[in-house]
Amino acid sequence: MIRPVLVRREVPVRGGQPLAFAVGLLVALLLGAVLLLVAGDSPMEVYRRMLSASFGDLEAFSVTLNRAIPLALAGLAVAIAATMGLWNIGAEGQILFGATTAAGIAQIGEGWSGPVLILAMIVGGSIGGALWALGPAAAKAYIGVNEIITTLMLNEIAVRLIRYLINGPWKDPEGYGFVQAPALPEQSFLPNLFQRTHIGLLIAIAVLAVIGLMVSRSSWGYELRVAGSSGATAAYAGISLKRKILTVLVLSGAVAGLAGGIELTGNATRLTETVSNGYGFAGIIVAALALMRPSGVAAVAVLFGAVQVGGQSIKAIGVSDAVSTVLQALILFGVIAAGVLIVYRIEMAEPKVRST
Amino acid sequence: MKSAEGNKGTKALWRVLALLLVFVMIAAACGDDDGDDGEADDGSTASDDMDDGDMDDMDDDGHDHDDDMDDDGHDHDDDMDDMDDGDMDDMDDMGDMDGDFSAAFLYISPVGEAGWTWAHDQGRLYAEEATGIPTVFVDSIDDTSAADTEAAIRTLVADGHDVIIGTSFGYMDTMEAMADEFPDVVFEHVSGYKANETNFGNTFGKIYQPRYLTGMIAGAATETNQIGYVAAFPIPEVARGINAFTLGAQRVNPDVEVVVQWTSTWFDPAIEGDAADALLEGGADVIAMHQDTTSAGLAAEAAGARWVSYNSDMSEFAPDAYLASAIWNWGPRYAEIISSAADGSYAPGFYWGGYADGIVDIGSIADDVDSDIVAQVQDIRQQMIDGTFAVFSGPLFAQDGTQLLAEGEVMDPGMLLGEAFFVQGVVGDIG
Amino acid sequence: MDAAPLAVELKGIWKRFPGVVANAGTELTVKRGSIHAVLGENGAGKSTLMNVLAGVYRPEEGEVRLFGERVVFANPADALAAGVGMVHQEFRLVPTFTVAENVVLGAADRVLNMGAVERRVAELAGQFSLDVDPQRHIWQLSMGERQRVEILKALWRDAEILILDEPTAVLTPNEADELGLVIRRMANDGRSVIFISHKLHEVKQYCDEATVLRGGKTVAASMPVADLTPQQLAELMVGEATEAALRPEPRQAGEQLLSVQNLCALNNRSLEALSNISLSVHAGEIVGIAGVAGNGQRELSDVIAGLRESTSGTVTLFGEDITTATPRQRFRAGLSYIPEDRVGVGLAPQLSVTDNAILRSYREHTRGPLIAVDRAKAFCADVVDSFKVRTGSLDQRIAGLSGGNLQRLLVGRELTAEPSVIVASQPTRGLDVQGVKAIQELLIDARNEGLGVLMISEDLDELLAISDRIIVMHEGQIAAEYEGADADRSAIGLAMAGESP
Repeated sequence: MIRPVLVRREVPVRGGQPLAFAVGLLVALLLGAVLLLVAGDSPMEVYRRMLSASFGDLEAFSVTLNRAIPLALAGLAVAIAATMGLWNIGAEGQILFGATTAAGIAQIGEGWSGPVLILAMIVGGSIGGALWALGPAAAKAYIGVNEIITTLMLNEIAVRLIRYLINGPWKDPEGYGFVQAPALPEQSFLPNLFQRTHIGLLIAIAVLAVIGLMVSRSSWGYELRVAGSSGATAAYAGISLKRKILTVLVLSGAVAGLAGGIELTGNATRLTETVSNGYGFAGIIVAALALMRPSGVAAVAVLFGAVQVGGQSIKAIGVSDAVSTVLQALILFGVIAAGVLIVYRIEMAEPKVRST
Repeated sequence: MKSAEGNKGTKALWRVLALLLVFVMIAAACGDDDGDDGEADDGSTASDDMDDGDMDDMDDDGHDHDDDMDDDGHDHDDDMDDMDDGDMDDMDDMGDMDGDFSAAFLYISPVGEAGWTWAHDQGRLYAEEATGIPTVFVDSIDDTSAADTEAAIRTLVADGHDVIIGTSFGYMDTMEAMADEFPDVVFEHVSGYKANETNFGNTFGKIYQPRYLTGMIAGAATETNQIGYVAAFPIPEVARGINAFTLGAQRVNPDVEVVVQWTSTWFDPAIEGDAADALLEGGADVIAMHQDTTSAGLAAEAAGARWVSYNSDMSEFAPDAYLASAIWNWGPRYAEIISSAADGSYAPGFYWGGYADGIVDIGSIADDVDSDIVAQVQDIRQQMIDGTFAVFSGPLFAQDGTQLLAEGEVMDPGMLLGEAFFVQGVVGDIG
Repeated sequence: MDAAPLAVELKGIWKRFPGVVANAGTELTVKRGSIHAVLGENGAGKSTLMNVLAGVYRPEEGEVRLFGERVVFANPADALAAGVGMVHQEFRLVPTFTVAENVVLGAADRVLNMGAVERRVAELAGQFSLDVDPQRHIWQLSMGERQRVEILKALWRDAEILILDEPTAVLTPNEADELGLVIRRMANDGRSVIFISHKLHEVKQYCDEATVLRGGKTVAASMPVADLTPQQLAELMVGEATEAALRPEPRQAGEQLLSVQNLCALNNRSLEALSNISLSVHAGEIVGIAGVAGNGQRELSDVIAGLRESTSGTVTLFGEDITTATPRQRFRAGLSYIPEDRVGVGLAPQLSVTDNAILRSYREHTRGPLIAVDRAKAFCADVVDSFKVRTGSLDQRIAGLSGGNLQRLLVGRELTAEPSVIVASQPTRGLDVQGVKAIQELLIDARNEGLGVLMISEDLDELLAISDRIIVMHEGQIAAEYEGADADRSAIGLAMAGESP
């Protein structure tokens, strides 16, 4: 029986990533077209609409960009940790706790001026995210507790924490008894850069650039890459693994928390338990598509944002939520699968031969 | 009134995909390491076959998830197809809609076959029929995500819709901001507490009135004199319903107790079912609810108890347990909003309609309910329609026995709106 | 399957890996119902040959016959189905499963009656005196018990031929003796056992016949063990000296550079790996450490390099105590280290040639917080040129380099730092002839320039060729020490095997 197996390529396909994007996208769109036809929708109509809703004009693009900001930061958070071979599955929780911290600051600083309050909230969000990652980081560095599990569990805890706050101490006194956090003060809203894109875009670009440069060019990032390639090699070169694990996971949390702060000041009107909007998990996909390289995260985040915005837009022309969801998954799956094939190739395992 | 609990389709997908990806990449990384070691040590890569095993396992996992997802998707699909085959054709030429007047609805969950969103969609279909103005809806928009809500509204506005009706509490802030940004579009929000002077209004209804009637039916039906009430959140809207229901029950059965079990969710079949089970085990033989799924009813059906449903007539889901239901009838109100917006007479405000306006009603009543009780219910119902019956009138006592209203007093709207207390006869804590 | 006299015939097996020929026409025949030892130094091709028999590898040439019939295995499952079971050095058990569950894992009936399975496992265990409780979980078991579970797994699948890859490495002497009894029972039951080892006394004690491999070739086939002395076996294993052309000019050793006193350390399983080792390395000498793998050499080099903590004893460099110094401090003080795992310890596999070249010196190639890529590349180009590393581009991942070039890069990097002492662990293992020669010459040059070299190798020929002194390690202790000129090959072989010469 012949069966296909994945064999790692010795040299990845040259210039592969953009190619993979194109091929994967094409295949996914074709499969999606079949799906849409079966569901009774017109593929051309749906695709045209997805495109126009996400890239159609500056306004549409600005909505896509707005969404790409937290996606890029979450993707960056995952990618930094992955550079060292660590999995930060907790970006979701770090975003939530970052947003919670920022919301707390907004309560304290209700009377502050806009720029001061916004800065405090965004920095606070970042610190909150870092704190949320500190526990798993320390547990990993000093006792070797698997960070996948701890960061994942803290996601749930962050949700429950917000739920508790909203139901209890932070319940909106002006909410007519409704279970919600108080509305954020008006001056805490991030100003817009153009159309709907707020200035969080500039922050995200700056953070991506600085951290991207740090990872790829600085001696700190070099140590990170050595440790990610082989912990034993890092020890051999005199790099303290413990300290690296600690700093990397905390930095990763800080970047995710920053996304929380920006999302709260940029898009939300009050703290909710879903202010993270699933960006923390989507960030894992973004990072994976970017092959864990900070440099690729931005482009992938825009694509992902466009898929989300476009996917939602088609519901208004009668495409069901389920079909829209599957379509979004198809597109990303297509690109991921193509990304895998840059690094691996499919070989047919030789059939069993046994003469007797 | 709903929250995002039941509506995480796309996000759940990202979550599953992301975790799947992590596992696949970890498995792949294990393979890499062995490969590297193998090169240095003259071929003692004894773990080659191990890796194969691992990968196979992973594949299997992946498959399971996929299957789950497909299944889910399929269900929704069917629902949707049932619902709007008719509308689909109208919507195909979306782009041409700009010139014509049209309205769009924002739903928290798929329409389904009963419940909150279904009731709104019935209203939408009614309004479309009554006004001749085309409508569309966008479902499964997470109301706790401002980004999602905003993106959905922007799309609808860009499509040229002139009225946007949002049917979940969490849309409120975003709708307020959007109303500000798009002054030419009418925004009507259901179940909130905000409005502006020009194009952002609020609609809700006195569902407590039919709840009072269902309370009468339940109070007559209970043999243990204990009624369980599965309730979402301790907010005035829910408390008002519980109180009205209790007063109705006490009207026919002075010894009755209403035991409240909070679920902290609007939409979670498992939690709602568990809460109903707990109440049934505690001695209740009738279950009422302020929830959006049918699972409390299924629990009652399974236990041989009775059930009062909410949102829509759910008699077909638990035919033996079903007693009656407090239901929404959004159609006339939606037709009014859309037609007034179309002819320019729309005036925003806080609409809080009751029986007199036809926005609420009691659903079908089970055949085995005593005809005398049915007659009493019909009588009170008529008084409500005529506006001669006040549910909250004196003498009224709070849970702890303090008198709230003296004989002859009627609760003022402010107290009614902010109702954060339980009346005597309710067992449970509020807030 | 009638009573063919030969259970296993491996004929003319060839298997190559990049840069290495693991099996060069290797032959092996194993009789039915016998315990057959396969002996050889590390790198002699034992493991590869066994993996060929167990279906893990497919040979490029040669044939495998079981009970006289030719077979071709696509994978280990095929081999298992044909009756070949292998117990690897690393156990493959699920720690949270019970013994019985592990035994039947993948070979269970569709409907699993655990009670019945446990009874049958217990029966099977009793039949071969394998003392293990089917209901216990793997994590509760000692290494010896886990090995019994592995053997049970093979027996459960009706293995007629059982391969044990260095089974005693993880066992206490008592457990080893019990294992000897178990395999004897299996042989009496008509099964064949292939016993891989390089401990001569075990071979003498447990086995019927022995096949000796050296350099991928069979140098002695199916010799009756009873007729052989440990000395003869040792000689067969280590072979005769081939050439001594490399032997450096004898010279007077200089001052003492590196000294180790009463060093003790634990291995990864927290067992004592080094007990009271004392040795010193002087300027201008190569000290060779001989020994069979797993006798503490790896731990010794790791402790000297600072990658493993010692439990007692001291390490001094230039008379200064560096016992608690970090690896980086030791390197700065003049100690270079060529680790046994060159990819994975000495080199970072996923990084580029340049990134690997600057592993020791990256802090010197910086501009502000950033690494100065131009300077790093220049440094790398220098190493690559000076040590003749063949690489396509300096930005290429080192994973694409051949073993010889990897080692040149590693040795070059370590020597570029102008150290005083080099600890080189298995620096030529797995390299082709040219690569071996190049690395040996580099070390001899270093020695001639006055460096002290501590070279650990399992290749006795190599040590005899280039060492000024040879120290033999056995079970974490120094078993013997010889001056290079008068080292006696067979005496060293016996010392390596734990026999007093």
